[in-house]
Amino acid sequence: MALDFGILIQVLFWGLYAGCIYILLATGLNLIFGVMKIVNFAHGELLMLGAYITATVFVLSGFNPYVLIPFTMFVLGLIGIGVERLCFRPILGTGKLNEIFLSLGLIYIFQNGVALIWGDDRQVLNSPYQTISVPIGDIQLPLDYIIIILVTALILVGLYVLLRRTDLGRALRATSQNRKGAMIVGINVERMDMISFGIGSGLAAAAGTLWVVSGQVFNPYMGSLPAIKAFAIIILGGLGSIPGAIVGGLIYGIAENGAAYFLGGIWKDSISFLILIVVLIFRPTGLFGEEGE
Amino acid sequence: MRVEKAVLYRYLTAIALGISVLLPLLAGMSFYILNVAIIMLTLILFSSAWNFLAYSGQASLGHAAFFGIGAYVSTLIARATGFPPFGTILFGGLVAAFIGLLLGLTCVRLKEWFLAMVTFGFAVILQVVIASSLAPTTGGWDGIGSPRLLPAEIPGYLAYEYYAVLAITVVSILCIHLILRSRVGLAFAAIRENELEARASGVQPVRYKLLAFTVSSFFAGVAGALEIHHISFISPEIFHAELSFWPVIYCIFGGLGTIIGPILGTVILTVVWEGLKGFGLTYARFVIIGVMLILVVIFLPRGLVSLPEEIRKWKSVRKAPLGPDKGSDR
Amino acid sequence: MDKKQIALILGILLVSAALLAGCTQQQAPPQGIKMGAVVSLTGAGSNVGKHMKQAAEMAVSEINAQGGVFVKAYNKKLPITLIVADDETKGDSAVKAVTKLISEDNVDILVGGYSSGVTTATQGVIAEKKVPYVVTGASSPDITRRKDVNTSYFFHYCPTTAMYGQYTILFVDQVMRPAINERFEFPDNRTLRLAVLYQDSAYGKGVLNGVISTITANNLNIEIVSNQSFKLGETDFRTTLTAIKAAKPDVIYPAAFPSEQIPIVTQARRDLNLNTIILAVETNDNPDYYKGIGRFGEYSILESRFSPYTVPPTSVAAADAKFKADYIAKYGAFPDMMGVSTYEGVYVAAKAIENTGTLDKAAVRDALANLQMPQMVEAIKGGIIKFSPDYREVQFELFMTQLIWDDKAGENRPKIVWPENQKEASFVLPDWYQAGTG
Repeated sequence: MALDFGILIQVLFWGLYAGCIYILLATGLNLIFGVMKIVNFAHGELLMLGAYITATVFVLSGFNPYVLIPFTMFVLGLIGIGVERLCFRPILGTGKLNEIFLSLGLIYIFQNGVALIWGDDRQVLNSPYQTISVPIGDIQLPLDYIIIILVTALILVGLYVLLRRTDLGRALRATSQNRKGAMIVGINVERMDMISFGIGSGLAAAAGTLWVVSGQVFNPYMGSLPAIKAFAIIILGGLGSIPGAIVGGLIYGIAENGAAYFLGGIWKDSISFLILIVVLIFRPTGLFGEEGE
Repeated sequence: MRVEKAVLYRYLTAIALGISVLLPLLAGMSFYILNVAIIMLTLILFSSAWNFLAYSGQASLGHAAFFGIGAYVSTLIARATGFPPFGTILFGGLVAAFIGLLLGLTCVRLKEWFLAMVTFGFAVILQVVIASSLAPTTGGWDGIGSPRLLPAEIPGYLAYEYYAVLAITVVSILCIHLILRSRVGLAFAAIRENELEARASGVQPVRYKLLAFTVSSFFAGVAGALEIHHISFISPEIFHAELSFWPVIYCIFGGLGTIIGPILGTVILTVVWEGLKGFGLTYARFVIIGVMLILVVIFLPRGLVSLPEEIRKWKSVRKAPLGPDKGSDR
Repeated sequence: MDKKQIALILGILLVSAALLAGCTQQQAPPQGIKMGAVVSLTGAGSNVGKHMKQAAEMAVSEINAQGGVFVKAYNKKLPITLIVADDETKGDSAVKAVTKLISEDNVDILVGGYSSGVTTATQGVIAEKKVPYVVTGASSPDITRRKDVNTSYFFHYCPTTAMYGQYTILFVDQVMRPAINERFEFPDNRTLRLAVLYQDSAYGKGVLNGVISTITANNLNIEIVSNQSFKLGETDFRTTLTAIKAAKPDVIYPAAFPSEQIPIVTQARRDLNLNTIILAVETNDNPDYYKGIGRFGEYSILESRFSPYTVPPTSVAAADAKFKADYIAKYGAFPDMMGVSTYEGVYVAAKAIENTGTLDKAAVRDALANLQMPQMVEAIKGGIIKFSPDYREVQFELFMTQLIWDDKAGENRPKIVWPENQKEASFVLPDWYQAGTG
């Protein structure tokens, strides 16, 4: 299987683009986990909701789906805040098992609620730029993918600025580093919880929109697997570490495609779990060993 | 009139057993009800097995793996050797237990949600292995037929099958009950509450966690073998995530950490599920179950079993509003 | 614990018992034929299950509008009561649903069944109770070939994966090969290079086996140069397609569902610049597919038996158009492949009952085995619907269409290019086509 240079570049490019969605998911998860220290297995459903909202608005209004990203992020941010207040806040501190169980309930509600409203057919949207490709050298790179990578980068930069340069960001980081200390200093930690959940959900919404825009198939059940892989990524990259999530996302994107190429497509999902299991056997607290609890 | 808890439980158990034994007659030997009942019994056993593991603080999200392993091993041995299925389910359970032990070894040092993910991933990987790598033996995605527990030619065989499954389930749950009531159960509870402290008091968490995994997987495997021999067909779809989630839901609903919890949860939710189906609801069923689950987790974290107690507490608080604050349980 | 708690717990038990009784209660059935429809209303198969249910309902209401089915034993026409059960696309739920249909609803005959694995799981119960079952959605040939279960009550009224593979490969050999050889001036004995990309499931594997057995049985000069599988629900095929591209195929045959086929076509043509002909299985022939693949599907091939945009110019044309129009008027959507076979399946079942004049299950079974009725909406080989004596399958007249771009519609439209007796146009090898090797 000789890989000529052109194909290699393309494979890396696709790995990069596929990694974008994982990165957005993982970063959102890390933010939520960092501040609230909770696990929400239903995070993938937020991605799925983002996809459906964008798709619906796009079909109804014809707005360019890229333009819809901020809108969808906002809507999902609100939904996220609602979920946090109604569901997660009451059980905060009652143990990890409860969080897992709650997530299960949320998964059922979101997946089947969407199926009720939109039907559970697999759907696909065609981006307005679908047929445009940018020639670089003698390789054709579809415009959509370039835009997706740029948008992801933009969002990540925005997040960085938020966390490092604003007061809100400082408050969020303080809460994630030391909750009690933050309370003493006067930070409203419950508000931080809500905000972090909202931002995390917004990031998932962006991931969902990009998923739809790139012409990928979506249905009510599409969120679970990317979310689980996002979890694997942040375990690998280190809980609460955003650079770790980015690097982890890229590694995963490439590893999956490598496995698909050399072992066969059916091993694609298993490879994520295999890597996870192997890593956890040797380092039970994850690669970059955060305390985690 | 206050009845002693223990005496009450004895009454209730007797009534429950009585109903179970009389079920075939009560249902008029209905083919449908007996079928549902047999499948429900295997799910009760499966839920109890999961509950056993959760009792030690290890919440597996991939328990369908052991259900499936028990089913496949039992089916393959029965087909290859002609052994009666009632014997091969034992082997199914043993192989599941062994693999459970191995998986437990990888999970002993993991925190709850790492463990949840690893167990989930294990089921995913296992499905691919059984469907593809081992396809020549397991029949791959086409699946293979599984010998019935009792030949259909015997008149009234379904009732006999029901009693056999009932007996196996009752005996298994009794075993689980005895183990949990013993020192082992205490050790599980200690580990679940706070592993560090448990270790400080001389309990060796690793040993007990492995024991929990092994025993839980054994019974899960037996449950799987029973169900598949009843349905008489198996395919890799048995490793689907949904099957892993049901025992979790049943147990939370009924009451984690109790013997009755899994039983109550399985029975009530199965009945509710079939009832909702009868009303023609499709996706709404799942939404309803999801909402019920969240309500239980938030308001009734110890499950339906604790409902009487919670009502009593709520009432006593209302009666004495100026009394001492009952205190947040958090 | 006190009396109140005992009361509460007993109360819960009683309510549960009531609910259980509720779901087994039948409304007093009208005097008529009871037909059970086993469909997937939830779960992975639900998008097809919806159409199977609606098509069955439409057929039943049409039959009942004529008064029903004449049953000689009662010397009058009996209406059909359709009882729909959801198998949830899962084996154990299917067994429960079918058991209920048989023992509580006392159905006389069954139609439906989509997922092969789920349908196979129900065979034990159905064979034991000896209820005739016209399977109208599951594509695995094993359903009527199993040795460990008595399959004599199962009648397969839809094509199997073996048939998909067979028709498609014969087309490739008889039409595509000469076109390719002529364009590139290849020698006649050049081996054709085929790549198969199949879904890892009974469906995908079944198609692959159909391909292999057709090649072997007919001694065709075709080599499978690449054979890749993917998991059900996969959305990113780029890496797999890269592997296929590296094997230099002349033609690619994906065995996939529309949600996978669409990305396969798009990614192959756009991202990988695979300038080959891509084939497709009939499961993909619905309006969403044409919309989804856009221009990238131009010149691709689609095996089918019932297309939303074309009708074979044969005697079924009128019935085909009428059925489509009626279904769309009633349900607002295209009926889907399994919808049309379920619609016909109901008629087949009704005809068998009429022929034998009684509701006795064994007699109905025999009537099905000996059935001969004229084709209805879909073309059948020889124009007569009959079940083969060995495995009770029906020889559907499948056809191959080629998708041609239609500016006015803004999408591709199919043209039937094979077999000869159904042809609308000739197969076209596009200018951009590149053979695998020189």
